[in-house]
Amino acid sequence: MELFGDFPSLGRTELRDLKKGIDFAFRDFSKANGEAIETFFDPLMYFMVWFEKLLINAPWPLMIFIFAFLAWLGARSIPIVIGTIVSFLTIGWFGMWEDTMATVAIISVATFLCIGLGIPLGILMSRSNRLQSVITPVLDIMQTIPSFVYLIPVVMLLGIGKVPGLIAVCIYALPPIVRLTNLGIRLVDKEVLEAAEAFGSSYRQKLFDVQMPLALPNIFAGVNQTIMMALAMVVIASMIGVKGLGVPVLRAVSNQYLALGLMNGLAIVALAVIFDRVSQQYGKRLQKHRQGGHDV
Amino acid sequence: MNKFVKGIAVAGLATAMSQGAIAACGEVTVAEMNWASAEFMANVDKIILEEGYGCTVELVPGATLTTFASMDVKGVPDIAPELWTQSVAVPLNAAIAAGSLHSMNPKPILGAGEGWVVPSYTLENHPELKTVLDVIEHPELFPYNEDPSKGAFVGCPAGWGCQQINNNLFAAFDMEAKGWVLVDPGSAAGLDGAMAKAVQRGDDYFGYYWSPTAMMGKYNMQMLDFGVPFQGMDVWTSCTTQAECADPQPTAWSVSEINTIVTDSFMKNNDPKAAAYIKARSYPADAMGEMLVYMADNQAGGNDAAIEFLENHEDVWTQWVGVQAANLIKKSLK
Repeated sequence: MELFGDFPSLGRTELRDLKKGIDFAFRDFSKANGEAIETFFDPLMYFMVWFEKLLINAPWPLMIFIFAFLAWLGARSIPIVIGTIVSFLTIGWFGMWEDTMATVAIISVATFLCIGLGIPLGILMSRSNRLQSVITPVLDIMQTIPSFVYLIPVVMLLGIGKVPGLIAVCIYALPPIVRLTNLGIRLVDKEVLEAAEAFGSSYRQKLFDVQMPLALPNIFAGVNQTIMMALAMVVIASMIGVKGLGVPVLRAVSNQYLALGLMNGLAIVALAVIFDRVSQQYGKRLQKHRQGGHDV
Repeated sequence: MNKFVKGIAVAGLATAMSQGAIAACGEVTVAEMNWASAEFMANVDKIILEEGYGCTVELVPGATLTTFASMDVKGVPDIAPELWTQSVAVPLNAAIAAGSLHSMNPKPILGAGEGWVVPSYTLENHPELKTVLDVIEHPELFPYNEDPSKGAFVGCPAGWGCQQINNNLFAAFDMEAKGWVLVDPGSAAGLDGAMAKAVQRGDDYFGYYWSPTAMMGKYNMQMLDFGVPFQGMDVWTSCTTQAECADPQPTAWSVSEINTIVTDSFMKNNDPKAAAYIKARSYPADAMGEMLVYMADNQAGGNDAAIEFLENHEDVWTQWVGVQAANLIKKSLK
């Protein structure tokens, strides 16, 4: 009966040696390769530093105009443009302009990086069932593993700052765009593809002129989710030295500053709502345009 | 049945023998705080009090505020080996004045406190760097990765009390004009990670940290002398620790007050020799650092570390106890 009472686990020493072994192996790896990996990311870091400085140092009326203009380009909706202007004015009024610009900078870079990596990966996944069965569990891990678990190795390898923060954000924000690109392409009607084949479309034409356009609603849902996930990671990224709205939130959490936490939290929400509405509207417009052709 | 009776008899005999061998000490509760050095000290106290003085020791887990509140109001636990008194200064002073608590040992750990640290190899490679004043003249030795023309000083995570102090000292030493950037590591994990990464690569590193910690021992960090005197508690509490400090003055870091606090009943009712031990024991910084590294490397608990310490640092702890107690403790380790 004893066998069932205590779980037959590894001994304390073996377990300790195993943990130590893993720790030391990683330490050696980071000692040997850390510098090279860091150098590899240097251009990205300098770009992010430059971009953040650009957003912070630009005159605020110009920035608000740019945001309003982008919102108009994306959504073509007066209420959304007004909402954007009012949100940014309020944020500035409450003294959160610099932090907000820093957050916008890292979120934009993260979103573009995730889209740039995620859409091709999603396309590859939709081509091959075997690849899908390999990538899906990896995406599951990326979305569910507690972020602190991967923050430790990322920080050991790259230190604190923008690049490790960006990696942490992307680990969490990449999966939706990959999943939804894959799903969107797989959901395209077989009949449509057959028709395209019957017209003699090449592989490339099928992908870019038939499947991708028809998958756009799903891909845009993915882009939208990626932005939301990236914003959700702002506070976590601040825990490894990324500037932005997450820093005051952390300060508020450890000191029970209710108002400070709420204000900065709401600023993150405001950014999220703006990005969400604009990207959704843009997705919807694209969809209408492609589907009907008579209703732009 | 027979076995049971025998067991009681043996237990009774054992108690009688131990009571005969050494003077009665009675029951003592020791606070085992939830961080490594306090856990370790509580376990050393337990072994020494039990084996050396015949006390019956019970460890009570706790944290600074909860343990202090319980000692203050209920008189339990009897001993808080490592109490950081700044956070409970007002009620503690009141309790000491009223005689319900006693500060038994104002220096349980030597060299404990907060400050600015560099790796020891930085000091070896640059012998001209002796104090903070020397280091801040050389931002080029500690380049900031996001802007290598500046030096990086890694401060305190957002929201910690020390963040404000670091901000003010950064301004007081005029470090921005000297070419420094105050980097916010964001969290304890960020701070530890930044330091570990730099030292593992052999890079120079300059930042805030505190002792006693495994990190300080493991990476052989040296706490720097500030090169200026401590300007007094008045300046410290009215300006250096405040966000509204208009004109921060250079000052050394306030000495963190760690105390071993005991209750009145421990003073009165327990063996005075045990009290003398509590009074005498103060851990040298390097021995404490070594034990914390041992705990971190082996993921060992306080009890393992206490045995390791008693076995390997006889020269340290035998000075705290009488010859008789020392012999009893040594015997128990075998």
